[in-house]
Amino acid sequence: MGQDSTGDKEVFAREMLALVNPIESIAPDRTVAEVAELFLNPDYAKVLSLPVVENGLPLGVISRYRFMDMYLKQFARELHGKRAIRHYINEKPLLVELDQPLAEAALHVAEHMQFPLTEDFVITRHGKYLGVGFVMDLLKAMEVRMRANTEELNGAYSRLKSSQLALVQSEKMASLGQMVAGVAHEINTPLGYVQNNVAIGQELFVQVREMIAGYEALVDNLLNEQATDEQISGQMAQIARMRGELNAHEMLGEMQGLMADSLYGIGQISELVLNLKNFSRMDAAATEAVNLNSCIESALNIGRNVLKNKVEVIKELGDLPRMTCSPSHLNQVFLNLFTNAAQAMGENGQLRIRTWQDKDSIHVSVTDNGKGILPEHLTHIFDPFFTTKPVGEGTGLGLAISHQIILQHGGEIRVESSVGAGTTFYIRLPLAVGESSHTDSTVLTEQF
Amino acid sequence: MSKPTILLIDDEERILRSLRMLFLSNYNVRMTTDPHEAIRILKTEKVHVIVSDQRMPVMQGSELLRIARDTSPATMRILLTGYSDLDASIASVNEGEVFRYLLKPWLADDVKSAVAEAAAIAEASFSVHSVDLKSVQAGVEHKKPRVLIIDSEEATSITVREILGVRCEIVWAYNAQMAMEELAKQDVSVVVSDLMLGETNVAYILKTIKQLNPQTQCIVVTSFNDTSRLIELINQAQISRYLPKPVGKNLLARNLESMLERFNLLRSQPALQNRQAVAPISDDHEKMQSGNFLGMIGRLRARVAA
Repeated sequence: MGQDSTGDKEVFAREMLALVNPIESIAPDRTVAEVAELFLNPDYAKVLSLPVVENGLPLGVISRYRFMDMYLKQFARELHGKRAIRHYINEKPLLVELDQPLAEAALHVAEHMQFPLTEDFVITRHGKYLGVGFVMDLLKAMEVRMRANTEELNGAYSRLKSSQLALVQSEKMASLGQMVAGVAHEINTPLGYVQNNVAIGQELFVQVREMIAGYEALVDNLLNEQATDEQISGQMAQIARMRGELNAHEMLGEMQGLMADSLYGIGQISELVLNLKNFSRMDAAATEAVNLNSCIESALNIGRNVLKNKVEVIKELGDLPRMTCSPSHLNQVFLNLFTNAAQAMGENGQLRIRTWQDKDSIHVSVTDNGKGILPEHLTHIFDPFFTTKPVGEGTGLGLAISHQIILQHGGEIRVESSVGAGTTFYIRLPLAVGESSHTDSTVLTEQF
Repeated sequence: MSKPTILLIDDEERILRSLRMLFLSNYNVRMTTDPHEAIRILKTEKVHVIVSDQRMPVMQGSELLRIARDTSPATMRILLTGYSDLDASIASVNEGEVFRYLLKPWLADDVKSAVAEAAAIAEASFSVHSVDLKSVQAGVEHKKPRVLIIDSEEATSITVREILGVRCEIVWAYNAQMAMEELAKQDVSVVVSDLMLGETNVAYILKTIKQLNPQTQCIVVTSFNDTSRLIELINQAQISRYLPKPVGKNLLARNLESMLERFNLLRSQPALQNRQAVAPISDDHEKMQSGNFLGMIGRLRARVAA
């Protein structure tokens, strides 16, 4: 700290030094007439006031304006000319220390200067006279500084804005990536057996076709009067050999089962793809009147990969009216809550999802019996970049974005948690969606 | 000769029915959706190959295969999964010690050939596993084992030195050239290697090691986490362990011991070394690198011999 402030002082001193005009000070015993002479010196043309200094300490300043004031009166020269200047000075001049920050000095000068501007300010070093500063120079220096500050601020602002956009985008990509990976994995199982069944069917098809060709040739020869017994018995032997290799009846029976399985599997794949489509709602309007329960089902379908085999999902979904909202964003909120819950739970996880309605709102609660959230974390849980997950696993934006989405729907989200017992998130969304929240969700679409 | 037995486990019955049809004509097919039933079958029947799903409600596939290792050590273990997550693949190396890590959806011919290879290897190892392996091992006196550390930093080799001391000859190679020279000099019992030496990917070296000596055991110690690369290393390098970096001394010590033990076992029972037969390198660039590597080692060895 000490080091820093010394460093700062040096910087300030350098700035201030540029403002110092090393004007020779006046001893307090000089006469008024002598000092008046000095103001006529062309070197002092710009100077409004001259410093009066004794033993290095500034006693005050005497201004050109004071002389004008004085000499406008009759016989002023005669009355005052011989007297010491110390009786005429302003004993409270504007004082600025060399190592004072520019902004502080400017503030001090601005607060204490008189109108019209009649005096310059005195610059001291450790209380001793150093020189005179012109107020205009100080203002100019401040203006340069402010311009630089503004540019810096603008730069910082645009950097911040783009990095925020990038982060929101990366959170979106992260959750999207997780979701796509999950569904891709889900698809692999039906795809696995469907593909295998088709490969088996293809092979079987070739064998059965050969066998049919054999039978047909035999039938042809049996009907052909010119065919010899040797030919016919040869063909029959060939058919017997094929029958030995392939139990067509059994294999075709099996294959029939595999065909049914394959159709089932294709149905599963279609359903998964439909889930993805419903979840992303890429082809739907940004805002739509939907039943929130369907958003929850959609998020559960997509999150199945993280929940499956690990978490028992208990749904207590009440009868809900449709509400106008941005379903793709609410889907995102629900998926985020479900996956967070799944990650917080170990064996025997229970995820309880409730929805209900009161006079003017729809309520959703998501409860897990996971490890809970520490009280000191609870207050930060909706803060951007707050995460307790290991580096690389969470962006710390999931809940912040969820919070934002709920706010922009005019609702609220809050959390209750007890360590070791579990966590509940409560969401309230107002039913009556006015025009304002309608526009809000358009804004939302642009932001996220 | 009777047909080899294949045991299929998946929580999706349709997968089982589909696979069964693939193997019906050449194998005695046993199948179940219940891992506990699978363990019971392993205990009571002679199973050549077990093919298990990874994600199942009752038990993870890697866990089932770990139990299979103890219950029926001669059985060859294959994982067939649609979920290529890192934890599962690490567990399948360290616990399941799988012969192949196959992904759903699969190509019928790939699965068929992997199972056929595994079945033949299992058949050969049944006779070996029936003798008491411990007693076989104890009787054999070996020369000092050689441990090669391939890592751009020295930390791992220092830890290995602390663990093994003078029992083994310990060599540290911090680049590919040095690794090659050391591998050319003499047989290596255990290789402890990172996957990246600075910017250089040395997976091709690991994939070549079994071609130099199928008995060499490979422990990967790395902070590099990439599931698909790891799956390749399982199939094409048959790495024995995959440990996170920085590695704890106890963990490394335990694994070094068991790998030295396994090296000795394979030396005394060469019939078992096929259990770690590798699949061909799939990446063209790595295939070329591996070829060059083998060629250079060959030349180095010829020069030493001359």
